[in-house]
Amino acid sequence: MKDTNKAVGSPISRIDGIAKVTGKAPYSMDHPVTNPAYAILFKSTIAAGTIREIDSAAAEKAPGVLAIITHKNAPKLNVKGGLRGGALLQSPEVEFFGQNIGIVVAETFEQARYASRLINVTYDKKEPKVDFDKVADQARMPKDKEKADAKRGDVQAALGQATYKVEEVYETPIEHHHPMEPHAAIAEWNGDKVTLYSSAQIVNGAQSAAAATLNLQPNQVRIVSPYIGGGFGSKGGQWANLALAAVAAKQVNRPVKLALTRQQMVNSVGLRQHNRQKVSLAATGDGKLTALAHEITTHCAINDEFVEPCGDCSKIMYDTPNSLITYRVAPMNLILPTYTRGPGKSTGSFALESAMDELAYKLKMDPIAFRIKNEPERDPSNGKPWSSRTTVQCLREGAKAFGWEKRKPEPRQNSQGNYWIGYGVSAGTYPAHQRPTSASVKLTRAGETVTAIVELAAADLGTGTYTILTQTAADALGLAVQHVKVKIGDSDLPPAAGAVGSVGAASYANAVNDACEKITQELLTKSGKQFFVRPTAAQLMRSEKLTDYQTRVDSKPPENTEEFSAHSFNANFAEVAVNKSTGMVRVNRFLAVTGAGKILNPKTARSQIIGGNVWGIGMALTEESVVDPRWGNFVTRSLGDYHVPANLDIGHLDAIFINETDEHVNTLGVKGIGEVGIVAVAAAVANAVFNATGKRVRELPITPDKVL
Amino acid sequence: MRPFTYTRATDVASAIRLLSQNPNARFLAGGTNLLDLMKEDVERPNTLIDISELGLTDIKSIASGSNKGGISLGGLGKNTDAANHPLVRQHYPLLTQAILAGASGQLRNMATNGGNLLQRTRCPYFYEVAMPCNKREPGTGCGAKDGINRMHAIFGWSDQCVAVYPSDMAVALAALDAVVTVRNASGQERRIPILDFHRLPDNQPEKDTNLVHGELITAIELPQNRLADKSYYLKVRDRASYAFALVSVAAALETEGNTIKQARIAMGGVAHKPWRSLKAEAMLVGKEATEANFKQAADAVMADAKPLAHNAFKVELGNRSIVLALQMAMKGSKI
Repeated sequence: MKDTNKAVGSPISRIDGIAKVTGKAPYSMDHPVTNPAYAILFKSTIAAGTIREIDSAAAEKAPGVLAIITHKNAPKLNVKGGLRGGALLQSPEVEFFGQNIGIVVAETFEQARYASRLINVTYDKKEPKVDFDKVADQARMPKDKEKADAKRGDVQAALGQATYKVEEVYETPIEHHHPMEPHAAIAEWNGDKVTLYSSAQIVNGAQSAAAATLNLQPNQVRIVSPYIGGGFGSKGGQWANLALAAVAAKQVNRPVKLALTRQQMVNSVGLRQHNRQKVSLAATGDGKLTALAHEITTHCAINDEFVEPCGDCSKIMYDTPNSLITYRVAPMNLILPTYTRGPGKSTGSFALESAMDELAYKLKMDPIAFRIKNEPERDPSNGKPWSSRTTVQCLREGAKAFGWEKRKPEPRQNSQGNYWIGYGVSAGTYPAHQRPTSASVKLTRAGETVTAIVELAAADLGTGTYTILTQTAADALGLAVQHVKVKIGDSDLPPAAGAVGSVGAASYANAVNDACEKITQELLTKSGKQFFVRPTAAQLMRSEKLTDYQTRVDSKPPENTEEFSAHSFNANFAEVAVNKSTGMVRVNRFLAVTGAGKILNPKTARSQIIGGNVWGIGMALTEESVVDPRWGNFVTRSLGDYHVPANLDIGHLDAIFINETDEHVNTLGVKGIGEVGIVAVAAAVANAVFNATGKRVRELPITPDKVL
Repeated sequence: MRPFTYTRATDVASAIRLLSQNPNARFLAGGTNLLDLMKEDVERPNTLIDISELGLTDIKSIASGSNKGGISLGGLGKNTDAANHPLVRQHYPLLTQAILAGASGQLRNMATNGGNLLQRTRCPYFYEVAMPCNKREPGTGCGAKDGINRMHAIFGWSDQCVAVYPSDMAVALAALDAVVTVRNASGQERRIPILDFHRLPDNQPEKDTNLVHGELITAIELPQNRLADKSYYLKVRDRASYAFALVSVAAALETEGNTIKQARIAMGGVAHKPWRSLKAEAMLVGKEATEANFKQAADAVMADAKPLAHNAFKVELGNRSIVLALQMAMKGSKI
């Protein structure tokens, strides 16, 4: 068998692809268990108040019902155990519409759902805080220290002196993650240990949060999550449904399957919060920024806080002597917001990059030249050198590939039939981190054939973790990819970082590389020989006639990692066609140029980027979760009401990666790509709509009524 | 979903008899709307009578009677088949366009012609059983009237209900003067002009149509016309497919030179039924097919609009859409 060392960087198809399209890959609900019962959550129909009574007499008598669990009979759980969003049936208090108030367990899902509708709940209602416009004025400073006011220089003075400035408010609505696979768990107890089959972006995090909530030790909880049907942040931190599945299973002494319905997703597993962002920019006549202020007002849950970092791009994207980033947050009777793809950066960049476009237009400068003019040599927020920064390259290479020179600087100059054509650009960034991750490698030899099993509790959101780790291990061990098997998604495996915050690839691939490096070194030592050319682990297994060998590593980021400011960067280019009569916007072409260090697999990387682009286009044009301002319920509860872009909305997508070597970010030079693909996308589209029509839409999504 | 009895009907007469005997029974055809509503606990039938194997799927020329020379679409034919049948594509391209503008390929493959006419509003307050809704539960109030009503009616609404009727197909049928034929338990046939088929909400918003319980839609007849060369279905929506109309317009013209002999303008997404404007159509007859005249007709349609808090944009959008749809019709824009 010929060994290879060229897997990394090859566009191989995802190795789990066939299992997925043939239905063989088990998602949360697919794992076989014996004699499962089915549970459904039932939910509050008010947004604030106290449950007075839950009348479940009729439901208890309904066919197939095994148990009804409410705050009155639920076991005591630790509400500070690490599950997000409360709603653990520990009290009669209601803090948002659609809060979990009980579980029905029955022989079948339909029996459970039917019985849940026979339950009559009465409340003592309170006036809910569900209208953002009414509470925004009362927003307070966040408790999170990261969101303290960040100030350099004197923004007000600079704005006062400036001839060229923009001071505008940009709004992004509540969005939901809506992964194709709604949150679901199978809970199966064995003595005092419980196995939870449930998709988790952070396998060990789900384990520790579920254990703490259930008052168990981590080793009493096993999370099995080999495949994830999308998560986008909503399966990072875990939610009440995970622990409640275990509670239900304990109660009926059988395995229990608990899945959320699509309609329940809007108030069960977090959301991206509504952000009201004031951006103020000032510049000299030749386009040098003199001030950048980004003031964010948003909302959080009544008794818990999460604020997405909308000011992050503004902190580091441009060089300005005067800078101000502030956050204010108003508690509301809505579910706790949470991490949502490109947290803060995707929404914050809409405000910043729209404002940059507005100021470039006032300056009569090309928006690319304006950005390059304000390129910072070091990270403006902390003075650290960049590990590498590709913004200028992304902008220049993108402009060339996209045909930016064909753009008309003035709106309404590019007419094609009944459409205005417009071009827009934006730039974005997302931080690159590596997190501690352990991994084990087992080598087995049969004849001349050496095979490897690589194990770690990593997660694959559908993005290609299996594939890139197979490639990484194959090269590092000197094996062909078909001789490497990667096992992930199980808390019994060596602990790993989560597939969150774009740390997955860097954390996992470096850990696997370290494990392979370690096993090679150990085999060398074991051989007691000196080699002129260092053999691979595979060669050593053969030359030393070993049949089995294994090792494990606890991998950490390089020690000097804090000396540099490490980020992925991108530039986005959009061409839109806007119907002159109806205001309907179509993205004809979209190009994302990304500098993300070493690209382990160009095919899965491209899919990640264009997937992020599509969500960014959705953010720009279609996606919005709407709350009734009287009662706090979402009126957009299904994928028929919550509009993600359809194929017809999206024209040609293209992704280019900058060929860069980042020597500082980590051993392999890998940065994340999961988030950066959505960052600043919405701004590129909005800027293109302005270039097409002259209409500046500062409130997403850009639906036809806003363009008219 | 509440427990129900499922029965597969073997012939039309027994299907109608079974339904008429039980006020809580419903016909099940494609199921694309009814099953969703049952899962959401909005529809609570105790019996489903499956009529999907009764035939009634033919698309054929009408050889005699008042619609001689037109075509008949079987009530249980699939939307996909209706949209793509050569007779429909050739003589009623407006209907093809309207059907293909609705739902998704998968849904159209299941949805029937009769079922399409009977689909219920997508008003979110109707769908969420925790909300007040006079259509779902008379007397509880209208959640949308003073709530989120961007998608709602600008014509013909009442204090009881501001919902819009969601079908695209029916908007084209309204423009084409379709006739719905129905049969009852006595075996009698009734012919309902499409404009009389759906209702305005008034004080009985729970009643979407004038169909009587126990009647089955057997066919939809399309009279012969001279509109096939100049027709267009324009649907304006929040995304390019699989979204309900903010506003839609079915426009059709018959001209001699540039003079309009006959005009049809029907709108969707604006009322509790397809909104046809006979007044605006009459204004166009004898006029030149110019943008100015189209604009005048559009103004006449929109003069009656009474927007709600969040949907005032529909007046301007509707106005522009009528003009654009008429212009596209003049260009003979084909599918």
